[in-house]
Amino acid sequence: MAPPVSATIKPEPDVVWNRENVSMSVVLEALGDIRKKFALEEAEDAEHPHPRSCVMTLIAVASSEAEERRAQRAARTIGMLHPAQLIVIRDQPELRPGQIDAAIVTDTHRPQSAYAVQCELVVLHVRGAAGEHLAALVDPLLPSGVPTYLWWVGTPPFGRQEFTDALRVCDSLVIDSTRFEAPYRSFMELTRLGESSHHKLGVADLQWARLEPWRETVAQFFSPADRRPFMNGISEVGVDYVGEGRGNRVGASLLIGWFASALGWKLQKAAAGAGGIVAAHFAADGWRPVEVAFRSVPKEQMAQGEISAIRVAGSAKGKTFKLTVMRDPERPRRAAPDIGAGAYQVLHATGGGDDAGLELAQRKAAWHRDVLHKNEESLHHTATGDPPGERPSQPGVFVHERRGADNSLVLLTMIDIGGADTLRHVQRVEPEDEATLLLRLLANGAHDHVYTRSLLAAAELFRAI
Amino acid sequence: MVIFGATGDLSGRKLLPALYNLAKQRLLPAGSAVVGAAIDDLTDDSFRKRAAEKITEFSRTQPIDQRVLDSFLSACFYTKVDFGRLDDFKTLQRRLVELDTSRHVGGNRIFYCATPPPTYETIVEQVKAAAIASGDGFHRIVIEKPFGSDLKSARELTKILQRVFHEDSVFRIDHYLGKETVQNIVAFRFANSIFEPVWNTNLIDSVQITVAEEIGVEGRGAYYDRAGALRDIVQNHALQLLALVAMEPPLAFEANSVRDEKVKVLRAIRPISEQEAERSTVRGQYTKGWVLGEHVPGYREEKNVAPGSLTETFAALRLFVDNWRWANVPFYIRAGKRMPKHVTEIRIQFKLPPHITFGREATQELDPNAITLRIQPEEGISLRFGAKVPSAGLRIRSVTMDFQYMTAFLTETPEAYERLLLDCMIGDPTLFTRADEVEAAWQLIDPIEAAWRDDKPPLAMYAAGTWGPPAAAKLLSQDGREWHRP
Repeated sequence: MAPPVSATIKPEPDVVWNRENVSMSVVLEALGDIRKKFALEEAEDAEHPHPRSCVMTLIAVASSEAEERRAQRAARTIGMLHPAQLIVIRDQPELRPGQIDAAIVTDTHRPQSAYAVQCELVVLHVRGAAGEHLAALVDPLLPSGVPTYLWWVGTPPFGRQEFTDALRVCDSLVIDSTRFEAPYRSFMELTRLGESSHHKLGVADLQWARLEPWRETVAQFFSPADRRPFMNGISEVGVDYVGEGRGNRVGASLLIGWFASALGWKLQKAAAGAGGIVAAHFAADGWRPVEVAFRSVPKEQMAQGEISAIRVAGSAKGKTFKLTVMRDPERPRRAAPDIGAGAYQVLHATGGGDDAGLELAQRKAAWHRDVLHKNEESLHHTATGDPPGERPSQPGVFVHERRGADNSLVLLTMIDIGGADTLRHVQRVEPEDEATLLLRLLANGAHDHVYTRSLLAAAELFRAI
Repeated sequence: MVIFGATGDLSGRKLLPALYNLAKQRLLPAGSAVVGAAIDDLTDDSFRKRAAEKITEFSRTQPIDQRVLDSFLSACFYTKVDFGRLDDFKTLQRRLVELDTSRHVGGNRIFYCATPPPTYETIVEQVKAAAIASGDGFHRIVIEKPFGSDLKSARELTKILQRVFHEDSVFRIDHYLGKETVQNIVAFRFANSIFEPVWNTNLIDSVQITVAEEIGVEGRGAYYDRAGALRDIVQNHALQLLALVAMEPPLAFEANSVRDEKVKVLRAIRPISEQEAERSTVRGQYTKGWVLGEHVPGYREEKNVAPGSLTETFAALRLFVDNWRWANVPFYIRAGKRMPKHVTEIRIQFKLPPHITFGREATQELDPNAITLRIQPEEGISLRFGAKVPSAGLRIRSVTMDFQYMTAFLTETPEAYERLLLDCMIGDPTLFTRADEVEAAWQLIDPIEAAWRDDKPPLAMYAAGTWGPPAAAKLLSQDGREWHRP
């Protein structure tokens, strides 16, 4: 995919219009006036006003102030990159009925070689029963002929009137399954969405976008022609995800669903144990068994449900192979500034609480020692620039980026094939905030058939456990 | 210009502001005068005061130019006329003769009936009896839709009008035709060489015409409950739009050439029999719901609407134009009240390419090409086509190229009534409906109305704020299509 374009927005938006207790007709009129004023101001004498374009509509629905702030920031960032109709709705059903407070926020982007673009964000605070009829609110604001994306910033109220109604007017729904308050229930509702919504509805998950580096890294392992037969020789897959107890295992399940749906594995049985451990038995081609296990691991300052490690092992063509992809285990991660407090929890001390935690703590400690030991040469070389010295260099070590004190994702990949020396690969993935992840999903159109088939396979696994 | 019903809503909101704006553009003929004629007891001065208020409130150009307004008002006069009293018409005639003399307008007179249709016959009879439409100069009459309530009444109305006025002097106003964007349909089709070769059954899959209003009956309950969406919108606005989209190129943009071609299209529309009405039409009525964030009552709860009314507030039709150009191309029309938004548009949907070179996976988000002609509110034209998504792979997605009137031209779009009033003054009836057009439209509508009276298809209810009853979606889905969301 093409790299995302960067854009900056002012920290404090320009609220050019706001009104309390208004109807949408008044909002529409104000929006029209603001656009017309900008068009006339930008048009120089004897020049026609510049054409205005719109490539999509993004509707973000927030249920708290923190969600609203995040939604506004992400929407404005997207608006600066792509001319769009942007709407942020704060749904407050508990407050007095039937009231809409509206504001219009503008950002002006002046590219060097193109016309200035004014991005308008319509912010609606909807109170009472009006929030159950979101379609009626936003439909008049929707430009014709461009896709409409509905981003439900928190946990969507699956099955409720407000949600069903909002789905009527959108082409695609964007959610973030890591933020589901009740992950199991919400995920199952998500997989059943197709039964109640219109048939062309696309669904996209920010968590799926976060999994992309993991999926790419795994796929790259199988990419060389001589390793392709390994795909049909996988016998074990293990996934560690961040959490406590069962936690949010949506991401891990999606990854397993991705493997299973891509490689044609059929689920035979699955069981969940204490501490978030899941063991599943799949049958690949020719009833070859594939054992899958995933479990929660406590990680400080990482979001629940994020993937921590993947292990893939098997044998083919007389060789055994093992692929391990680990997220930088020791480096503290800074919370993104736009994510409110509480989004990342400090989990209980490693090893405390349950058997799985204890086992994991032991495994983790061993793993870290192993990683540091094996990487000693490489880390020294990349940190100092000094020659490797007397010690023989480790074969196949590629260091793309120095680990920096930032919030980027660093993946350590270890490859063991047929008992040869371990190949190591450290890669840094650029930090991605919600706006970037959203943009990536929107660029893909939210009709990603790979996600859809992974989702269905993950749902099958969810049901079995 | 004599405005019958000059103290009414149409006059205050549309006609007087339109005339003021024509004056502002110096387009009113020298010496022209406006004579208000209505039942209210007003003097010239009180009529002028009232006119000034309405113009100030409803003129599209703001702020008001006081010098222009004063000058315009000085040419406004008022005569009380009770349509049932011949003496009042004789008084009006004397006033008009005085004005002819003092303002040197050569006896040219336009009679604008800004009154309910049942008054047309009386007005025409009284005009004849008082000899107001005789003598030197031209004498034209302007009437507002509906032009009858069925074929029989439309023919009767034509006969009544033609007792006094020649057909060339009858201006049936359908304000949609005065909209710039409606006229632009003709320009778009016939001033560009790239569209006409694809404008036929070979490449066009279907045409959708949507005329949606977010408002309810707005105090017109008594009228609307007798008319319904089919008579109020489809018979005139929607069929006129269809005719402009489907007609053959006229020899010139001239009254009879354009209207001849429109009549040919209307006559080529396959009649819908009473049996066929059940399969090809949908009628609906709104119940309470939410529109623009506000809770609104159902149709039967509106003022002056019968509690058990069966009048449709939504109509959807599937029509076919049986000629060489449009063979087997369905024209879907939907019109309704209390829709999610106020919008009128025509969508020309093209066929998919005969072979998808890039495979199904790469084109899963590719829609067929489409041209959308937006009549209101954001007047413009958009073209939808496929483009490659920038990425390493090959994926095609639909994108939209947009032209908007508001930002493409510096000049403000005039109100439809300005254009139509001016055309009437200069005697150009191109944008007015001819008697045979009206009759051709009623010939199509009458059998549908008859079927609907027999409850075929049954009235389907829809919540206010939605795009009509589920049956409307089914009308297209059974053809493998779906409504475009405007």
